Amino acid sequence: MTNLEALNGIFCEVFSVDAGALGSGFDNRSVEGWDSVRQLSLATAVEECFDIMLDPEDILELTSYDNARTILARYEIEL
Amino acid sequence: MFLDLDKKERTRIAAIDDSGEALTYGELCDFAAEFRRYLPERALLFLLSENCHGSLLGYVGCLAGGIVPLILSARTEESLYASLRDLYKPAYLWAPEAMAETLGYAEVFRAHGYVLLATGNAPVAMHPDLVLLLPTSGSTGSPKLVRHSLRNIEANADNVRRLFGLTGGEKAMAILPMHYTMGLSVVASHLLAGATLLLSGRSMLDRGFWSMLKEATSFTGIPYSYELLMKMRFTRMDLPRLEVITQGGGKLTPEMFRALAEYARDKGKKFIATYGQSECTARMAYLPAELALEKTCSIGFAEPGGQLSIVDADGVETFEGEATGELVYRGENVTLGYAYGVEDLQKGDENHGVMHTGDLARRDADGCYFIIGRLKRFLKIFGLRIGLDEVEDLIKQEYKADCYCKGDDEKLVVLVTDSALVDALPGFIEEKTHLFHKNIEVRLVDAILRNEAGSVIDQ
Repeated sequence: MTNLEALNGIFCEVFSVDAGALGSGFDNRSVEGWDSVRQLSLATAVEECFDIMLDPEDILELTSYDNARTILARYEIEL
Repeated sequence: MFLDLDKKERTRIAAIDDSGEALTYGELCDFAAEFRRYLPERALLFLLSENCHGSLLGYVGCLAGGIVPLILSARTEESLYASLRDLYKPAYLWAPEAMAETLGYAEVFRAHGYVLLATGNAPVAMHPDLVLLLPTSGSTGSPKLVRHSLRNIEANADNVRRLFGLTGGEKAMAILPMHYTMGLSVVASHLLAGATLLLSGRSMLDRGFWSMLKEATSFTGIPYSYELLMKMRFTRMDLPRLEVITQGGGKLTPEMFRALAEYARDKGKKFIATYGQSECTARMAYLPAELALEKTCSIGFAEPGGQLSIVDADGVETFEGEATGELVYRGENVTLGYAYGVEDLQKGDENHGVMHTGDLARRDADGCYFIIGRLKRFLKIFGLRIGLDEVEDLIKQEYKADCYCKGDDEKLVVLVTDSALVDALPGFIEEKTHLFHKNIEVRLVDAILRNEAGSVIDQ
C-alpha cells in the first residue's frame, strides 16, 4: 500500500466515506460532524500509521485533507 | 433577583464569547427585564442552546422572569427535537437566528443573534416549584428530562462557589455545553460569584479555544477534555493565569489523574476532581486539591452543603468509616425528579433531598469516597458477576483501545472500533473473567457513541 492509500484509508475510516470523496474541498467546514473527537482520532491514526509524533500545532492544522498532505510532507512522508 | 445578578457592579464583565464581545452584569439585568415583557408568566420555552451570549441571555432571562426553559442543544437531532416538541408543546422557542426560518414560527423579537418565536401552543400546567428542565446527563438520545427548582440551582451555584472559593476575579473557561448539567453549573456558580465566563462553543482543536485558554483562571472539563489537553501537551505550555483545573463527568484513568495532580504540583496550580449527576444539579463531591497526589481517582468528600453516605449490601447506611455499597447524597441540589411527558410537569418534589445515585462506592478510613462501578452495570452469566466498567477498564489498559460493554445474562457484548481486537478479545476476556468465550461477542462498530460533551452514552 502506498502512503497516499494509507492516508486515504485513515480519512475514509474516520469519516465513513469513499476515497472518491476526498479532495481539496474535504475540510472541517464542509464535512458534517468534523469535531474534536474525529480530528484527534485522525491525528492518532496518522501518527500510528506513519510512525511519527505530530506537533500540537500540526494537530490544530489538521482541519482538511489538503492540510493533512501538507503536514505529512513536513515530516518527510512522500505521498 | 436570580443569582443576585442585580447586586453585582453593572460594569463588571459577566461573559465573553467566541465573538470576542463582552457582556456586562448590567446588560444581563436589562435584558432580563426586556425579555420578560414579551412573555406571559410561567410560559414553557425551549431554549436551543449554543455556548454564546444569546443563549446565556435566554437562560438568565427565563430564570429571572419565571419562564420555564427546557435547554436543548441547538444541534439536537431533528427527530428527537420533534418528539420533545410534540410531547411538551412549548409556547415559545428561543433559538439561534440561523435556525429561526427552518423552525417556522412567528417571530416575537430578536437580540444577540437569537430569536424569540411563538408557537401558538396553549399554556401547559406546571408545578409552581418547577423552573428548569434539562435532558438527562446531557445525552441527546433520550426524551427523559430532569426537573429543577430554583432552590436546586441556587444551592448548586452556592456550593460550587464555596468549594472553589470563587470570587469576582475569576475568568472561567466555559466550554461544556449549557444544556449539559455541569456546563450550566459552571455558568450559574460563576455568575453568582460575579466572575467572568469565557463562553466558547469552539472545538478544543480550534486555535480560538487556545487563545481563550491563555486568559482563563480556571478550566472545567470531562475526562475526554483532558485526553485532548494531554495530546496537545498542555502541561508544557505557558499558562500563567490558569490557577485551577477541575474535572467531572466521569472517571479519569489513574494515569491521567496522577499526571494532572503532578502537573498541578509542578506548576503551582490546583487540580480538583469532582463528582456529580444531572439528578443533583451537577456537582455533589470534590477532592480537595491538597489530596490530589495522595488519593488517586477519589471523588473526595461531599461538597459544602451536601452529605454523602453508603448503603451496603445489607441495607445498612453509614456516614463514616470504611464501607462499600451504593452512594447516597443528601442536599438542597437534589432535583425534584424526572419528567417523561407533559403531565409530569405538574409533579412536585419526589426526591425530598435524597438521591440514591446507583453508583457503587468505597469509603476509605480517611472518609474519602471512590466510585468503583455502577450498580446496574453488571451482568450475571452462569452465576459469574461481570462488571461492565471493569471489563472496559481491562480492555482499555491492555490494548489502549476504545470500547463499550453491554449485554444480558446470556452474553457479554463488546463494541470495539479496532478490527484487530475482534479476534483477540474473546480469549483475553476469558482469561481475565473466566467467562466462556462463546458467551462473548465482539462487534466492530464505526464509533463508540458519545454525547456532545464527550461522555459515553448507552448504545
